[in-house]
Amino acid sequence: MEEIVLEKLRSWNRRIAILTGCVLMACAGVVLLDVLLRRLGSSFGGTDEISGYVMAIATSWGMAFTLLELGHVRIDLLRGRTGQIGRSLFDLFAMIMMAGTVTLIAVKCWPVLARSLANSSRANTPLETPLALVQVPWFAGWVWFAIVAWATLAAALLLVLKGRFEASEAAIGCFGEEAALK
Amino acid sequence: MIGYVTIGLLGLLALSIPVGIVLFLLGFGVDAFFSPFPLIRGLGNLVWSTSNNATLIAIPFFVLLGEILVRSGIATRTYAALDRWVSWLPGGLVHANVATATMFSATSGSSVATAATVATVAMPQAEKLGYDPKLFSGAIAAGGTLGIMIPPSINLIVYGFLTQTSIPRLFLAGLVPGLALALGFMAITVIICLIRPSLGGTRRVFPLGDMLRALLQLLPIVLLFTIIIGTIYKGWATPTEAAAVGVAGAVTIAAFFGNVSRAIFVEAILGTVKITSMIMLVVIGASFLNFTLASAGLGRELETFLDGLGLSPLGTILVVVLIYIVLGFFIETLSLMVVTIPIIVPLVVAQGYDPIWFGILMIVLIEMALITPPVGLNLYVVQGARKSGKMSEVMLGTIPYVIAMLIMVALLIAFPAIALFLPSVLGG
Amino acid sequence: EDLSVVGSWSSLPLHKQYEAPFWGEALPAASGGKINVNLTTHNQMNLGVGDVFRLLGDGVYDVAMTVADYAVADAPELEGLDVPLLALTADEARAMVDAARPMVTDIFHDRFNSHVLAIAPYPPQVVFCNAEIAGLDDLKGLKVRASGRMTAKFLEALGAEGVNVSFGEVPGALQKGTVDCAVTGAGSGYSAGWWEVSTHLLPIPLGGWDSVVTAMNLDKWNSLDADTQALIASKVASDFEAPAWASAQGALVNDIACLTGNGDCPAGDARGMKLVEVSDADFARAREVLVGEVLPDWAGRAGGDWAERWNASVGATVGVTIGN
Ligand code: NA
Ligand code: NA
Repeated sequence: MEEIVLEKLRSWNRRIAILTGCVLMACAGVVLLDVLLRRLGSSFGGTDEISGYVMAIATSWGMAFTLLELGHVRIDLLRGRTGQIGRSLFDLFAMIMMAGTVTLIAVKCWPVLARSLANSSRANTPLETPLALVQVPWFAGWVWFAIVAWATLAAALLLVLKGRFEASEAAIGCFGEEAALK
Repeated sequence: MIGYVTIGLLGLLALSIPVGIVLFLLGFGVDAFFSPFPLIRGLGNLVWSTSNNATLIAIPFFVLLGEILVRSGIATRTYAALDRWVSWLPGGLVHANVATATMFSATSGSSVATAATVATVAMPQAEKLGYDPKLFSGAIAAGGTLGIMIPPSINLIVYGFLTQTSIPRLFLAGLVPGLALALGFMAITVIICLIRPSLGGTRRVFPLGDMLRALLQLLPIVLLFTIIIGTIYKGWATPTEAAAVGVAGAVTIAAFFGNVSRAIFVEAILGTVKITSMIMLVVIGASFLNFTLASAGLGRELETFLDGLGLSPLGTILVVVLIYIVLGFFIETLSLMVVTIPIIVPLVVAQGYDPIWFGILMIVLIEMALITPPVGLNLYVVQGARKSGKMSEVMLGTIPYVIAMLIMVALLIAFPAIALFLPSVLGG
Repeated sequence: EDLSVVGSWSSLPLHKQYEAPFWGEALPAASGGKINVNLTTHNQMNLGVGDVFRLLGDGVYDVAMTVADYAVADAPELEGLDVPLLALTADEARAMVDAARPMVTDIFHDRFNSHVLAIAPYPPQVVFCNAEIAGLDDLKGLKVRASGRMTAKFLEALGAEGVNVSFGEVPGALQKGTVDCAVTGAGSGYSAGWWEVSTHLLPIPLGGWDSVVTAMNLDKWNSLDADTQALIASKVASDFEAPAWASAQGALVNDIACLTGNGDCPAGDARGMKLVEVSDADFARAREVLVGEVLPDWAGRAGGDWAERWNASVGATVGVTIGN
């Protein structure tokens, strides 16, 4: 059951990450095109503004994928010196901190969007992008990150309670920094 | 407050909570205990305005570029080619590690990516040819750090972004110190291997024809470097845009000289998203912590502290260098930069120092932090690629290169022109 | 009473000469120790410029000051405070600001939950060009770095192309021709070395005067007793706003002397930029573009009765009426 949940989360997030990566690639393409157009004496205008929105949205939606790939750097200093149960406790504690913090972030991101909606805010640029338009997907990314964090925590907790430490470590353990950065 | 935050930082890191989350938690703590104002209400706005940022999009672009080079096999062939050229020196293949790292630094904006690239291709050679694992892996860890000194550089982009200094000028300023450091690494390797030849493994001399043919293998990297740096200095593209140009260049070059397939492409994209999110969680966390620290009056506390010491400008710089060396043992480098820049740079500039010069000095110190234990990402990267042997071997192996970096710090302070000459001549 | 105060750019004269002494020393002293101030700046806090007043309204800090233009994403009607080229001298700019103050007060009340204490000027935003220009008309077809939405729209209406470049990148961009001209304060351009990479100076406030609004969180303001309110209101007017305005015109004359060498430069060595005279015909055309395109466009963005209110206050002061 727990592993089915984790497997589902992984496969959804992998798809989301591929989509996110494709958006980043598309953004690179648009920037490149703008550079070329400028050589020819014209320009889209506003590519940097769009790049900023892409960065914000790509960042928030990539977070959960990185979490499940154990990609968020942790310092494995004391944890690695304890036994299997000790490691599980370290992992669960770190996961609780993570889920709690991310939830708080998501909650505090809502007023930003709410105010943009209330004021019908538009970017202070010639494009006048409606801010809500880009803040909705950004906010949704953080909410998704929070949901995935709690679901992962719950699954790992069940695994630990059942004594399946290796499976839990595969879900919320620590590859050490080297694996995170390759 | 500085004391509490430092202790909290080390404690939470030791509990192996993710670094980015640690920074948020510290920010919550500073808000709760040191600030009378409800800073947490600003959290959402900070997350939005830190990540809605056109400059930082260079990070995923450079990471993607590196991923493509590694996965398409171009990295392996570059290493083999440089081996032909430098392995006759005392120290043999160790020089190929430094040389390869130098070349990749010229296309990659990240030290960790550079070290990972070189480690992946170099490590299999070490045992085969009988090298001392300490010096060999130390050279990779240290050489990798050049990734953020030799342009392009994500860290210099972040520095320029936070201090409102010109990123192209910073890039120009990093070129000479970066190459000087590379030569310094090679010189110190030669010296060590002349004293203790057993550390250096076999020196190998290749026929001239081999060497000349090998040059062809360097073509892709040279081409890519020319594209990226060329578009910046021709004024065709900003550094961020040049990163996008570099991605396109890497894809084209990989299609031409290496392997590209759908699978390789997907892996490169996934790797990019993973590393970008990891870095951004740290950057956003650091930005929030910084916001709480500034609101709680850290700037004044630090200013009062430094004023109290009554130091000359030189004295201030030496204290700052010491602070970075000590913090560098423990703190991940991007966080270290983001947390300290808004506080330290104004103080240093107020003492009459050039912010571009200080940016370069800081990068040398950050490079050092990458290879000093217990928290030194490049050490872990290299150890990860080794798959056997003790962590302590890598740490010992970097000592000579840390010495080379300290010499570089002294030289930069004594002769600021090492960094500032090129930007003053070429503008930018 | 503890006040946490967030100042404008820490490196600029407005903060160093007026904000920091006023909030740091003058006000606490005048209150006889009743008011304590904790002063920082938005750049030291690494805040996005667009967030300053949002967070003020949320009560993250008590007092904040920054360029009104930075906040127009949340309040397009605020653009009307700082319209390019309508005020050519500091006195005219001050008259405009005074006329606009009731509107600004309402906007800050409704949009940012805060009470306006003062409006002070940054130096007027003039034009540095690395291109041969003889007047306003020659901007047509050039790539110009602007800051702020109305300036960008105005430049577009004049036939120029707006390019977004961060302040630090402007010298490089001018040198390489990524932009031909850039708009900023004359003093900022002088100290940032823009004279090294540009040849012609158009000394007219094409980017307006970049008015800096100082405001206090409304809940905080209402929590103060009447005496404290009165003290702050009178002191901020006499010890901060008045001296900042008094030096504005002199600063412009000095800065232009420093950049062009026409006159004494107290800040350092005078430079040799070519001063471009703006003809009356240029002005007439600029006004035409403003009144015919830029302001009606703004009236649409702002909505409501803002255009009428503007006509009756600012418009009446400068002799401009936005048509329907
Ligand atoms: Na580099
Ligand atoms: Na370190």
